[in-house]
This record gives sequence, structure tokens and C-alpha cells, in this order.
Amino acid sequence: MSLCEAEKTFILHGVEENFRNDGRERSQYRPMELETNIVAHAFGSARLRLANTDVLVAVKIEVDVPTIDQPSEGKIEFFVDCSANATPDFEGRGGEDLAMEIMNSLTNAYKSTKAFNLSKLCILKGRKCWKLMVDILLLECGGNLYDAVSLAVKAALWHTEIPRVLSVNLDGNNVELEVSEKIHDCIKLDVTSAPIMVTISKIGEHCVVDPSSAEEQCATAAVVVAISQNRFTTILQTGSGSLHPNTLIESLTLGSQIASQLDTALIEVLQQKSGEKPIGFLL
Amino acid sequence: MLPKINIRLAENRVNTSVAVNQRVPKIFTPGEIISEQKEFMRGHGTYEEDVYLKASVAGVKEQVNKLVSIRPLKSRYNGEIGDVVVGRITEVQQKRWRVDTNSRLDSILLLSSVNLPGGELRRRCAEDEHMMRQYLQEGDLISAEVQNVFSDGSLSLHTRSFKYGKLSQGVMIKVFPSLIKRSKTHFHNLPVGASIILGNNGFIWISSTVSNEEDNVGGFVQNLEEVVPRTDRETIGRLRNCILALAQSKIMLYDTSILYAYEESLKYNVADLLIPEAMVDISILTQHKLNLSENA
Amino acid sequence: MPNDNRRINGPENTLSYRLFSNSNPHSNVQKKIKDIFKNNTRPSERNFSEQRKIFLKCGVVSQAKGSAYFEVDNTKVIVSVYDPREIPKKTDYSLKGELYCVFKFAPFSCPTRRGYQQDAEEKQNSAILKRALESAVCRHKFPNFQVDVYVLVLENDGSALSAAITAAGVALAQAGIPMYDTITAATLGVQGSHKIVDPNLEEETLCNVAVYKNEGEKKYESHGIIILSMLSTHEQVSELYQTGNLSLDTINAAINILSKATKEIVPLVEKCLVNHVTKNLKTDVED
Repeated sequence: MSLCEAEKTFILHGVEENFRNDGRERSQYRPMELETNIVAHAFGSARLRLANTDVLVAVKIEVDVPTIDQPSEGKIEFFVDCSANATPDFEGRGGEDLAMEIMNSLTNAYKSTKAFNLSKLCILKGRKCWKLMVDILLLECGGNLYDAVSLAVKAALWHTEIPRVLSVNLDGNNVELEVSEKIHDCIKLDVTSAPIMVTISKIGEHCVVDPSSAEEQCATAAVVVAISQNRFTTILQTGSGSLHPNTLIESLTLGSQIASQLDTALIEVLQQKSGEKPIGFLL
Repeated sequence: MLPKINIRLAENRVNTSVAVNQRVPKIFTPGEIISEQKEFMRGHGTYEEDVYLKASVAGVKEQVNKLVSIRPLKSRYNGEIGDVVVGRITEVQQKRWRVDTNSRLDSILLLSSVNLPGGELRRRCAEDEHMMRQYLQEGDLISAEVQNVFSDGSLSLHTRSFKYGKLSQGVMIKVFPSLIKRSKTHFHNLPVGASIILGNNGFIWISSTVSNEEDNVGGFVQNLEEVVPRTDRETIGRLRNCILALAQSKIMLYDTSILYAYEESLKYNVADLLIPEAMVDISILTQHKLNLSENA
Repeated sequence: MPNDNRRINGPENTLSYRLFSNSNPHSNVQKKIKDIFKNNTRPSERNFSEQRKIFLKCGVVSQAKGSAYFEVDNTKVIVSVYDPREIPKKTDYSLKGELYCVFKFAPFSCPTRRGYQQDAEEKQNSAILKRALESAVCRHKFPNFQVDVYVLVLENDGSALSAAITAAGVALAQAGIPMYDTITAATLGVQGSHKIVDPNLEEETLCNVAVYKNEGEKKYESHGIIILSMLSTHEQVSELYQTGNLSLDTINAAINILSKATKEIVPLVEKCLVNHVTKNLKTDVED
């Protein structure tokens, strides 16, 4: 629902004052909640809740043929589903555009070998490789989707385990794989450099991170950056506004700082030993 | 120095319930038999089948003499005449506005039930109809009173008093309508330096205290130039977070409970009140204080 | 494709010949990069910061309200803009007009065939195009209406998206859609320490892969593609789109280079529009 001018003015002045409606500073995040390994049939999964945004990510693995252009690399595919559970606007094909935007930005963010190395997923050059299928389900939408999705994806990949291939036999043109029978004999993925996405909104004259839905309405422009170890893997401007080059550079700088901080916070949580008690999602 | 980012594991989630071994009333589920005798009258949330009176919603039983009704635990707002509501204009139509008041159907605000700017008293003419969007446009927030309930359950509102009308700068938050305690007044000028409107429909409006009421004639003025000072802003932000904390723990909202929560929250930063532990802490302390003052 | 039973079909498991051929753009990337950037000049004997010669013409599609043809080397783009019309299937009144953008590669425009259906990349490009144009158009001037922008890439020889944005800007202006400013866009490719403006298709593919800094050493060079569209008199970036892996400094430098590059195109756009108008005036007078 759209805000009225007075509410927008109030938010705008608050941002100027560096005191937002909920008391946060411009560069402050809302608390988040994370749970990993909650989908039994997935190779790795995570659920992240950021205020009212709830994202569930599950990773499935398949054996596939590598692309001709990258014969010695595995594949990673993202699929975003904007469930009509999140908001009735997503009913039918309503969420398709948003889903595609997120999907493409993730694909771009993970594309560079430097950010996410797919060569370990190759089984036999040109013939067989693992394909990671990352399914993202938006259960609730409360603003700041890109950030929440990228964090949840990284958390899910962190816990993803790939079965160990013991031997590869070439029988004529047929490739036979022997996969380890022990369930726990798996290889963990290296996701330390997997990118984190941060949305920076320009409200008034200032840049703000983690905007609430109301603040998103007040933003004149927004930039989404994906950062992997202080380096940009993708940048896109969302929304219909435009920015002065200097403001743009300023927001990119802020984005990269926030991303590295988010990354540290996420890895810290992921390294905590999680107990056996499953909590589940949707409160 | 950037503020710290807080990510927690779900298993460290805090329990938000603050109810202390209070008696939980029986909760009926749809289809459950309430009574086998025919002497009761069928109220809201019930239906008759064969000889039984059954519940049609999940909720608690309420009985007035022979009239039995089930009040749902969670529902949209059911308006009653005289209620104070906060609403948002969704559509400008001929001679009336549609207002979102969290009810099942949009409420109606007739052009004839508002005070004209300047407080003029006269019949509404065609010119007023053209001016409607200047008075209130889509997205604007208003406070109003329920004037009438139509047969389909939609509400007719009026703003024929100086205290009602268009709302200016501030924050609106949404809570369950059932958490708003009915009281003599829903307009409060809190001593901490902020005004609050507790709409019966669960919409709560927080703003800085309006100094002179005379300025507000007609209630169509929005001062967009005025910058709310930092101190007021902190109070508003703190109240917002306190109310959300109370609502999360399902504590009834009225001036006393909000003020208690505000006092208890002073040991935290405003932004820290977003952290679940702090929210629960405030709810528990407020509940405790409320119990003490009740017993006293 | 229907299966032909009378023909002897190939074996079930086949490998593409491109895996073993040198013409595969992704094989021997390292060597190619060295070859291309060896003398600090590009194969086309262009400077690193030099754009290709642009040919720009508007009013090429007679049926459209506005249209433009943009050509740099072998990149050929046609854009047509159609009248504002009521938004189909709209639900509520929108105060601002909508832009409906479709970006399409012709099936024969790239080394591999493109289908008739929009694929993910084309959809993504449509979205970028839309965002870039939205801030240039005075959308409040046609509330509740939609302007259709169709982009067809006849041939892709790199920098197709930036060509499309510039051309779409011209087409919109020619169609008489109210705009704040002329909009121009440019592409920059980065491979290692090289920053090349307006890359062609081969350079673009090279910029898309990460290569080792030195043989044997497990460190990758930075690489990437940046597209920037600019409203030059307002000094506003309407869209910045980057892929690859780049440091903040590189991006800062890139924004500067690209701002300059986009400004270089502006006189051309202005001239094209003015020429079109004066030509029409002349014919009107003659009539």
C-alpha cells in the first residue's frame, strides 16, 4: 500500500537525521534469523528471516553434461519461486518478473570463476559434471529481498555436500560413475568467496541499507551490488531512478563495506555448531 | 565504524509468550458442539445443525443471557458505531472516499461526513466534488469515527470533529485489532512527548504532540516543511518499537501499558529494541508491572 | 524437430566438435588475450579508449511513431517505438506511464542460433533497457498509458545492449515522447589490467572469463563487463550494470571512462535528431 506524502517526508527527514523510523542508523541492519539443513530431501538447505522477509533455499544435485563453452566446469542453476503465499500479487504469473530479476542477478553474481569455482564439480571433462540446482522459495516478502536471498543461498551452499566419486570408467562412449556408498563420505563445497548481495537505497540525499517496505517506497533509486571478498561480481540499478556518478560511487563503497561485514557475520553463525532440534519455518 | 550485524540461529529463538500460568479459556474449533439444548440463541460465529449449536470459527465462547456467540481469536476488524479508527484512503470516488480500515470490506467516507476546510457549514456542491482529491488523495491517512454500519458489514465513517481528519507526519503501525483495549479515549497525549491514536481497527498512529489544536481546523493540513526534531523522533521510534514488542507478546495495548513499556525500555537503545531478547524483556517487565498495579 | 526414421541417426551420446577445435572462443583464452593485447593495441587497431565509428539514423520504420537504426561495425540494432496506449490488463490507476520494453536478438544474430522465444538473457536485457529508459522519460506526462519499445538486434558484434539503449533513446525522442534528457550508453570490458571501451564480440567473450594471473599460480585476474547509461546534461547515471569480478577502484575508473564515452555519443544523437527534423521541414516546404 502506498504511503502518503507526510509519512514519506517523515521517513526522509529521519534518514537525514540518521535516525530511521525504527531507530536504526542509515547503515544498520535489522536482526536476522537463520536455520540450516531443514529440508530432508535436499543436499543443503537454509531458511533466513529478515524482519518480514522469509526465504527458504534448498540445493539439489544432479549429474549433467558440461556446456561446450566450459567443458571442465560444473554447473550451477538458480530458480526463484515467488510463492503466492508471500503476497496475493504473486498469484499466477505476477511474481515472474521479480523472480527473473533475482534469478539473473544470482546467476551473474556466481558466474565468475573467481567468486565461485565450478571446476571442482567437473567429473570428466566434456562428459560429466555435477549440476547444483539452487531453488529459492520466497515465503514472505517484507522488503530487501536481494540481500536475504543471497545470504540464504550462501548458507545453503555452505552446508551442501557432494557425493564422492570413487572412479570413472569409460566404456566406449558410455561413462560409468562409481559413487561412494557411505552416506557421509562427501565433499563439502568451498563457498568462502561466494558473493553476498547488498541493496543500497538512496533516500533523499543519503544512502541507506536494509530498507523496510515503507522505506523502499521513499527511495529515489537503488543499487544492488554482489560482493565476493571485496570485489564486485555484479552491479545493477533497480527501480526507476537515476544517480549522480559521485553518489553512485559512494553507494558502491558503502555496499562493499556492508557486504564484507555481512559475510563475516554469516560465516560466524554458520560455524556455530547447530543443535539437533529442528525449528522449522514460518514462525 | 559500522553498526554490528546480528544474525542468530533459529534454535536460539526466544519464547515470546509472557502469560504466567493464567487460566486458558476453552477454545472452540469450527464444527465443535457448543450446546445440545435448543434454548440458546444463535450468535456470531455459530450455526445450528440438527439439534446442536456448533461453532463456525475458532475462538472463545461469549454468552449474553441466551445469546451464544464465538469470538474468533484472530480476525479482521469488526466495526461498531462510535469506534475510533485510523485508515488509509484507497480510492477517490464520486462523493465518497474508500478507506482501508483492516475490515473485510473497505469503509466509506462520504463527502458529506467531512468538515470542509475552514470549517464552513454548507451543502456540498459540484465544486467540492472536483476538489475531493485535493482534500484527501490515495494513500493519505485519516483518523475517523464509525458513524454507521451498513447491512453488508462495511463501515461508514465521519470526521466531523476537530480531533479527526488527515494525519500529518508520523508513523503508522499495524497490530491485531483485538489487542486494542477499548477505553473512553483513544487519543492520548503521552507525557513522554508524543501523541498516539489507538485505532480500534488495530492501526496505531504515533506522532509528535500537536501543540495548538486551533491550527487543525478542518483537518486537511499536512505540514511537509516542518522537520520533526531529533528528540521527538527518538520518542516516536521508541514508542513504535515498544508497541511492536507488546503486540508480539500479545499484551493489551492502552495508554498505561504503553507507558510502562516505554519506561522499561529506557535502558536500551531504540535500535536495540528490534532484538528479540530485548523485546521479550520489555514485555515481561511490563506485564509484571501491570499485574502489580492491578493488585494494588 | 521431427525425427526422421528413414535416416540413420547419429549415436545417442555425442560430443560437440567444438570441444576439440581451436575456433571455440573459450579455448586457449590465455594465449588469445596475450595476442590481442600484446602491443597495447587491439586487433582493430583501435585505442583502448576508442569507440568504433557509429552510424545512427532515425525514422527508419515507417509504421512506427519513432524508430532508430544504430550500427557500430557489425553490431546492428533496430528500435521502434509505438504510441502511448492504455495499459492492457491494468488493475488500478497508475499516476505514471509505463514503458514496455522488449529486447530480442534475431535468430541469426549470434554465432549460435537464437530461438524466437525470449531467453533469460534477452529478458534480462529487456529489464535493464526498461530501467535505463524510465529515468529519461517524463512518465508523469502520460499517466495510465504505456509506450512500447521494441529492440531487435540484427547482428551482434559486441556492446549490443548499450547500442540498444542509445538507439531507444533516439527512437523515443523522435516519437515525441516527453523526455528529460538525451540518453546514451556505452560498454566497457575489463580483462586483467586492460580496460577496453566498446568491445566487439570476441573481446566481450574474453572479458567474461577469469584467467590465471601467471601459469601455475592459482590466482585469477579481474575481468568483467560494465554497461553504463547516462543522462548527460543532468549528469545522472540511469543504469549501471556489471558482471564479472572487479575491484572498487576498477569500477570507479570505469565509471569515469564510461561517462566520457557516453558524452562522446551525445552530439551524434543530437545531430541525428536535428537532421531528421530539418529534413522533414524541407520536404514539408517543398510539398
